[in-house]
Amino acid sequence: MSRSLRWGIGLLLVAGLLLGAFFFLPFRSWLPGGTVANIATREVVNGTLFNRLFPKPQTGEQLVFTQEKRGFSQARLKQGAEVRALLSISDVASSPASRNKFIHTEERIQSWPLVDQGSQASALLVADRFQVKVIGQGSGLDAQQRHELLGAFDLAALAALSPEAIQAPAIAPGRQALPPGRQSPLRFPFPGLKRQAPQAQPSQARIPQPAANRKPSIFNRANAALEPAA
Amino acid sequence: MSATVLERLERLPRRNLTVLALKGVSTLVPGGWHNQTSPEELISDVLGSDDPELVQQVRARADELSRARHEGYRRALSLYDAVNRSQKAAGGLRVLANVAGALPLVKRVAVLTPASQTLQAVDLSLKVAAEMLAFTQVNGLPGDSFAAFGDSLREYTGEARVRMAALVCFDALLPLGDNALHRLDGLLGQVGSRELHQLPSYVGMASLLPGRGDAAHLSFVRRGVDQWLGWADGFVGDLGLSGQRAVRALETTIGPWHGGMEQLATFLDAFTDTYSHTGVQAVARRLVERAAAEI
Repeated sequence: MSRSLRWGIGLLLVAGLLLGAFFFLPFRSWLPGGTVANIATREVVNGTLFNRLFPKPQTGEQLVFTQEKRGFSQARLKQGAEVRALLSISDVASSPASRNKFIHTEERIQSWPLVDQGSQASALLVADRFQVKVIGQGSGLDAQQRHELLGAFDLAALAALSPEAIQAPAIAPGRQALPPGRQSPLRFPFPGLKRQAPQAQPSQARIPQPAANRKPSIFNRANAALEPAA
Repeated sequence: MSATVLERLERLPRRNLTVLALKGVSTLVPGGWHNQTSPEELISDVLGSDDPELVQQVRARADELSRARHEGYRRALSLYDAVNRSQKAAGGLRVLANVAGALPLVKRVAVLTPASQTLQAVDLSLKVAAEMLAFTQVNGLPGDSFAAFGDSLREYTGEARVRMAALVCFDALLPLGDNALHRLDGLLGQVGSRELHQLPSYVGMASLLPGRGDAAHLSFVRRGVDQWLGWADGFVGDLGLSGQRAVRALETTIGPWHGGMEQLATFLDAFTDTYSHTGVQAVARRLVERAAAEI
């Protein structure tokens, strides 16, 4: 048997084994592309936690949950047989681009930024982490009705689900390594986006101004007690 | 495998035998049916707005979601495909048997094909099992939530009702007769693992069914069918469905039929793919509803 033939057969065997392993062994789950935007599922808040935060249906209405995935939960608001709206809560960890629309908005519901998308959809960004959305279906809802529905969600409890809210005290003083599996999720840098403080405070209030031309405004008056006398 | 859900939706036929058969059945269901094959139209229907930029964003998000294996949208489609392939194979076999039965030399082929009634019963129950598994994949519930499936059937409206009506008519009432639903449990009781393995759909679906071994799969299928039967009885009663009415409804679109009901069922099995057609549309709708909420 010539040397090149032996090499050829050897390479063929190795290639065959590799291909066989690739197609028949359960390696698929290790490959990228298994999750949305390649973010590990444990870094996304589970949709099961969102279900109890949906608004309570009023008389004649019915809430039917349709999808519940990692980082997403959706329900239909029905009145009789007609679907009035799609209500949903999603974790924006897997769709960072969806935050951009909230940058320039002035509208607020319970101090969280609010945006209207098209004529039938309204979205709210809670704790810079969760998007709450109402999409009118069928005959549709007007903006006022959609905003009322958004306000009816349990937004305070939703904000508390944010990993930052949960992990904050653990990280505060001397940073310690937590055991594996209990470490805080990766935080992704989103340039150009600052965390919105829960209380709506205009950013000017924080900029130090010369004491002489400082105008007395309600915001300054609130902060005056904290500052040393000039 | 590489096509996303919305690409599959775009490639669905606009007008062929499948579409005509579904149009025919939809005359029996109040609300009717629209053959939705345009992703843009679907998105603007869900979103209530046809702003091209928003539609584009939803579409990009939907494609991203359907490419992620963990999300299960494409797995739902592969379930429908597995059922559809086997339905065509079994239907083709029976058409062949029908033809061959008339030819003296190859008459033996007709004897070889499995007993039509049991085979049809198993075929129907595998479709119901596929529907349930696809439901759990799309909704993200654990794979054996029978009660949740039973409840959700009551929520089926519009297109989903037409889809179920097609399943009841084409796979139960036409081949098994008007009391099909009452006989189904008895027919399934006669099924052993030998009959199961004769069905190409079972071979294709076995890896997707929960549990190990034929016995576990069969009991899973029977529990799913129990849930479905409870609902289907009421559905048939409400709409007054029967084999005769199904034939008349089909005749309005595909033309007069002179054969028996069983032959019509065989013909539809072999030459239409109603199940995967409506399946793609149903999954696409759920996917778009999610993508619209996430942009």
